[in-house]
Amino acid sequence: MSKGVQVAGGATIVALLLAWYALANLETGASFSYYKSLAEFQAASQSETGKPVRVHGYVSLGSIQRDVAAREVRFSVQNTPPHQAGAEAGPAMNVIFASLETPDLFKDGAEVVLEGRLRGGEPPAFVADKLLAKCPSKFEGQGPTTADGGARG
Amino acid sequence: MAELGAACIRFALLIAIAGFGAAIHAGLSRRPDWTRVAERSLLVVAVFVAIAIGSLFTAFATSDFRLSYVAAHSALGMATPYRLAALWGGQAGSLLLWLFILCLYSSACVLANRFKNRGLMAWVVAVLLANALFFLVLLTFVTDPFETLPPEHAMSDGAGLNPLLQHPVMMIHPLMLYTGLVGFAVPFAFAFAALLSGHLGSTWFQTTRRWTLFPWLFLSIGIMLGGRWAYEVLGWGGYWAWDPVENASFMPWLPATAYLHSVMIQEKRDMLKTWNLLLIGLTYTLCLFGTFLTRSGIVQSVHAFAQTPIFTSVFLGYVLFTALAFLTALLLRRRGLRSPQRLESVVSREAGFLLNNWVFIAILMVVFTGTLFPVFSESIGERTVLGPKYFQMLAGPLALVLLLLTGIGPLIAWRRATAASLRRQFLWPAVATVATAALVVALVRSQLTPYALGAWSLGGFVTATIVQEYVRAIRSRVRHGETPLQALFTLWRKSQQRYGGYIVHLGAVLVLMGATGSVLNEERLENVKPGAELHMHDYRLRYLTAEALPAQHYGGAVARLALYRDDQPIAVMAPEKRMYWLEEQPASIPSVYSTMREDLYVVLTAIEKDGSATFKVYRNPLVNWIWIGGAIFVFGTLLVMWPHPTRPPARRA
Repeated sequence: MSKGVQVAGGATIVALLLAWYALANLETGASFSYYKSLAEFQAASQSETGKPVRVHGYVSLGSIQRDVAAREVRFSVQNTPPHQAGAEAGPAMNVIFASLETPDLFKDGAEVVLEGRLRGGEPPAFVADKLLAKCPSKFEGQGPTTADGGARG
Repeated sequence: MAELGAACIRFALLIAIAGFGAAIHAGLSRRPDWTRVAERSLLVVAVFVAIAIGSLFTAFATSDFRLSYVAAHSALGMATPYRLAALWGGQAGSLLLWLFILCLYSSACVLANRFKNRGLMAWVVAVLLANALFFLVLLTFVTDPFETLPPEHAMSDGAGLNPLLQHPVMMIHPLMLYTGLVGFAVPFAFAFAALLSGHLGSTWFQTTRRWTLFPWLFLSIGIMLGGRWAYEVLGWGGYWAWDPVENASFMPWLPATAYLHSVMIQEKRDMLKTWNLLLIGLTYTLCLFGTFLTRSGIVQSVHAFAQTPIFTSVFLGYVLFTALAFLTALLLRRRGLRSPQRLESVVSREAGFLLNNWVFIAILMVVFTGTLFPVFSESIGERTVLGPKYFQMLAGPLALVLLLLTGIGPLIAWRRATAASLRRQFLWPAVATVATAALVVALVRSQLTPYALGAWSLGGFVTATIVQEYVRAIRSRVRHGETPLQALFTLWRKSQQRYGGYIVHLGAVLVLMGATGSVLNEERLENVKPGAELHMHDYRLRYLTAEALPAQHYGGAVARLALYRDDQPIAVMAPEKRMYWLEEQPASIPSVYSTMREDLYVVLTAIEKDGSATFKVYRNPLVNWIWIGGAIFVFGTLLVMWPHPTRPPARRA
């Protein structure tokens, strides 16, 4: 076997070992099914209850409630931006974010990405572990900020 | 002004095409007079690009909002330094800046080599002009910084730069990064020229050693500044998130560092020529790719600029073209690159350096696949994003291997190490390692992870090897009559590569040990009413008041907390929550109390309706050793780079 083949073989073995190590140790929460829009998610929501997902939506105007005593923030999201004239808002989804630490850009009308799972029961609510918010304006260089509302929060 | 800038870019484009043609002709026909023509065209291009960027700076300085780029990134209310820095706040301007820095490097390269390397320079100029051409084409046809707004859309004031970027560190971080990333074009051009011309001897990389160290230093500084800015301004308590754009600047750093090490083997043993060429090709390709990644938006990031599909495909095409062209040249010349030397023993410095290279490339593979995983996964199924845990889990053990090699490499013999030489070199450092491990276990106990134990113990190992080397060298010089201080300076002057290199290693080790402190991080989110207290470790924070911020460029609130440690009053902390009116940009500015041991980092999360305030408090042990290590790293690199009056030829081992 030539030197080149030996090196290539060795490198492949190392790469496979690393990949196996990574996949074997990856927490179930580290990767998600990513949904592009709230509408898509709501259409599929029957099968998605309980599974970790990422959902994209817009914060409904006036829906944000900070509950200091319960250490959570409740709000609802809709499929289209509230400012958009003529757009169907669609059914809103209630969200519970299990922390008071919301990102700076989180406010009425903000574009958000939620990571968490749909909790069944009445009324159904999405329990978000992570909340990413994007600025509603279009300036270059402004991007999402994130907050982590896990068990430590 | 706008017309001048636009005209200069287009003129430069034409000259660059002509110069490129001249360079190719000069290279193929080996005519020195055509080489001069090509070199002069490059200098002319540089002059026009300088005028162009000068006119754009003027437009920003005078707030000329007729230019849509100026209107989008500047505002009358901004301070002058930030108005000028806004030039690189957006896509078109930052590409022009890249081109300008490329022209500076290219001109310097041409001028420095006007009496040397005649055989190579034709091709070097060809490669540099080809790169300049690409950016000129982009700036003319795809993103034009001199585009004017139609008269009916004229603006009396601009949109302003994102206030998070209006920070002194952010003014220089892009400049440092570009001085790093763009600078690798020169050694790349020399490597490519060596392949194209067939002059495959040692000239090309001996010429480019300083041309490689210089951009490498600035890339290192740029990466560290980015982390420092994130820590000070973004208010999430950390400095590195394995964000795609952070990774984009880190990826070229890895093969570049590997290259800096393996050229030493080429110099001493005349081996690894093909490998070194691959490394420099990989480095520059990753520099281009990183620029592409930052701008294209194919991976979500806090840094992402706006993207257009044309731009994405053109840029990606160029990156791939560069890589393929270089590889083709390499394949065609592979016979000329064969070395008669062979690796004699696994227990040797060559083997250590080779392993070091492999580890760097392994880390690169981890970071690359992790960063682009969303793109890969989307094409075969659902788009999945890998979080920081993936990178930490894989890069961590690899970093430990690297740390071990950093200690072993400089001490182990060339060719083949004997048992006696191993014992002599490593006895004391091995003892120091065990002692460090014991100390760490005793101090940290329950929170210790295997990785942290490894990192700190091996850090102790490397530090011990460096100290040993210095002590032995100084001792032997002192025996010959010098004072210890004189001996130190002699080492730094006469053996700058070796002893300066040790300082660089020391800096890197301190950075790693400081970063490992994060396993001991504590954080807490608390809601408190005025007068109530927060506790963290041996600190006590009493919430005093909150006040509205005076409204100038921003409004918001500042909270004041009294900080006590072991019941001693230390400081008043004042974290802020700002809202920049014009840009509708909120910001959390942390208040940080720094000591050698740790940072206490306080963020005002919210002032609640009931008058209480929610704070996030972090305790970050050892974090300041990162910045201290960084400074030592820079000092060491300057030692290595310092111009030496007469350079002794490298000893053949």
